[in-house]
Amino acid sequence: MIAPTVEARPADATEYQVKAAYLFNFGKFVAWPETPDERASRPFAICVLGEDPFGSALDSAVAGATIHGSGVVAKRIGKADEIDGCRILFISSSEMERLPEVLAAIEKTSVLTVSDIPQFSQRGGMIQFVSDRNKIRFEINVTNAEDAGLSLSSELLKVAVRVTRTPRRGM
Amino acid sequence: MAVSGMALVLACMAFIGYDWITFRNNTARNLSIQAEVIAANTASAMIFDDPESARKSLDVLRFSPNILSAGIHTTDQKAFASYFRPGTTEAPRLPDLPASQPTAHAFRSRRIIVVVPILSENRSIGTVYIESDSQALYSRLARYVGIATIVFVISLVAARLGSTVFRRSVSAPIVKLADVAKVVARDKNYTVRAPATPDMEEVATLVEAFNEMLFAIQKRDAELLAARGTLERKVEERTAELEAANKELEAFSYSVSHDLRAPLRSVDGFAQALLEDYGDKLDDFGKQNLQRVRAAASRMGMLIDDLLKLSRVTRAEMRREKSDLSAIAKSIAQSLEEAEPERKVDFKIEDGLAADGDPRLLRVALENLLRNAWKYTSRHDHARIEFGRSKENGKSIFYVRDDGAGFDPRYADRLFGAFQRLHGVSEFPGTGIGLATVQRIIRRHGGEVWAEAEVEKGATFYFSV
Repeated sequence: MIAPTVEARPADATEYQVKAAYLFNFGKFVAWPETPDERASRPFAICVLGEDPFGSALDSAVAGATIHGSGVVAKRIGKADEIDGCRILFISSSEMERLPEVLAAIEKTSVLTVSDIPQFSQRGGMIQFVSDRNKIRFEINVTNAEDAGLSLSSELLKVAVRVTRTPRRGM
Repeated sequence: MAVSGMALVLACMAFIGYDWITFRNNTARNLSIQAEVIAANTASAMIFDDPESARKSLDVLRFSPNILSAGIHTTDQKAFASYFRPGTTEAPRLPDLPASQPTAHAFRSRRIIVVVPILSENRSIGTVYIESDSQALYSRLARYVGIATIVFVISLVAARLGSTVFRRSVSAPIVKLADVAKVVARDKNYTVRAPATPDMEEVATLVEAFNEMLFAIQKRDAELLAARGTLERKVEERTAELEAANKELEAFSYSVSHDLRAPLRSVDGFAQALLEDYGDKLDDFGKQNLQRVRAAASRMGMLIDDLLKLSRVTRAEMRREKSDLSAIAKSIAQSLEEAEPERKVDFKIEDGLAADGDPRLLRVALENLLRNAWKYTSRHDHARIEFGRSKENGKSIFYVRDDGAGFDPRYADRLFGAFQRLHGVSEFPGTGIGLATVQRIIRRHGGEVWAEAEVEKGATFYFSV
């Protein structure tokens, strides 16, 4: 048997196992502005900025998987400028204080930003994890994503608990 | 009619059956497509554990009135989201969906069920099923059966009508024609005619031709009858003429031979008187001459006797009774032996030979034949004379066979002529009347006589009666 399937919800998953799976699955419903050959040649990197809350869960989630034909890898970075090659960036709550700087640093890039920092989507983030009746859900700020050149599938928007289209605050 | 009706019914059933199967498969395929669309739409709901969104996707199925229920299951067969048509409460038992198959379907108790996988990155993350009723299927079947029934009824009526018309204008006249032909063949009645029909030109032509043919036959028949009448009359005339001629001839020969006797007796008598009264006055030469006169007279007497016999044969009335030929032959043989006891002759006479005919005439015939055989074997020391019968094609043929002098078969046609002899008087005595008599007798009995022989090897005389 190959790596664990990307099941939505294994029976005894912990919070961050679920979030790791979701993080990986977001990639299937987002379109990046690169050309197909650029995309295929490089591995699909999911990066974690700051304190890693996932641990091995993220590695398990991405092991042997592919998104859009590319192999998926998990990276941990300490600083925003190490962003090169990241498609999805999870901003740990440890960076809560430095959020505006982080967002400003990646402004010119097409990176999907995900975090469980409170009000992340209102503060310029794209996908924010929320808890809804003991279930892990998420909010999406479409405008922020589109500004970065990303297009999000309606399939993803369908399952978000809230979809907002507001311009970034603080600009 | 029943056979073609049944054929029509079978054809309709075949078509409807085939259509049923095709339509059902198409329905299943359509359902599969619908399920696949739903599967694509609910992948994210499965991934992100949002049953609410999945339920919303299923809910569009309420616009398909045939769909009883639908549902989404996780990979461990747990229900994730469901849809039930108002009135349906239970989810059906699902067919198995093997890993590599894109779809599975089942037809269960008037329901159609399809199952498709939900795929993400080519891996199954759940299944979608849709259950539909067979309403559309059955209403289609009912519609087709209705149409088929109407078509069937209409064709029956049309066929009936067509056959009636056909029968009236074609087959009825032809059957009538056949009946007339049968009557003609059976009764040889050429006056009947087939009734004319006004309807179809070709049939009318046939009937006309048939009647013309009968007319021609009738005419020919009448001509033949007339010709036959003429012929019969002619035959009667000829027969009468012949009979008259024959009678004249017989009367003539009878009277002639009778009249010839008298002067003959005189000649013989006076020659004898001369010999007795004046014999001592005559020299040997004179006596010899007188003896020659007597011999010649005697010979002439025999000839006349035979002629008389011949004419008697033809004049006598014929009786027909069963005649024992073996007995007759044996008595003739006996008298021959008594007349010349010094001769050694082997008579082989078959027993039980009999024929239908006049016993007196048959006796005369056998006498002539056996006497001939006796005569013509006189030169041989030991002779053998047979009288027997052989059967050919069911007819009896009697024969008298000897191993005597025989005759040259080239002159066989002269044998039976009156006064015809194939041997000189010095070889064998005789008048030449015997065989003519035999032929007359046998012919009067409606039979035929003929002979086969080889010189010095004997002769066989055959006759049939």
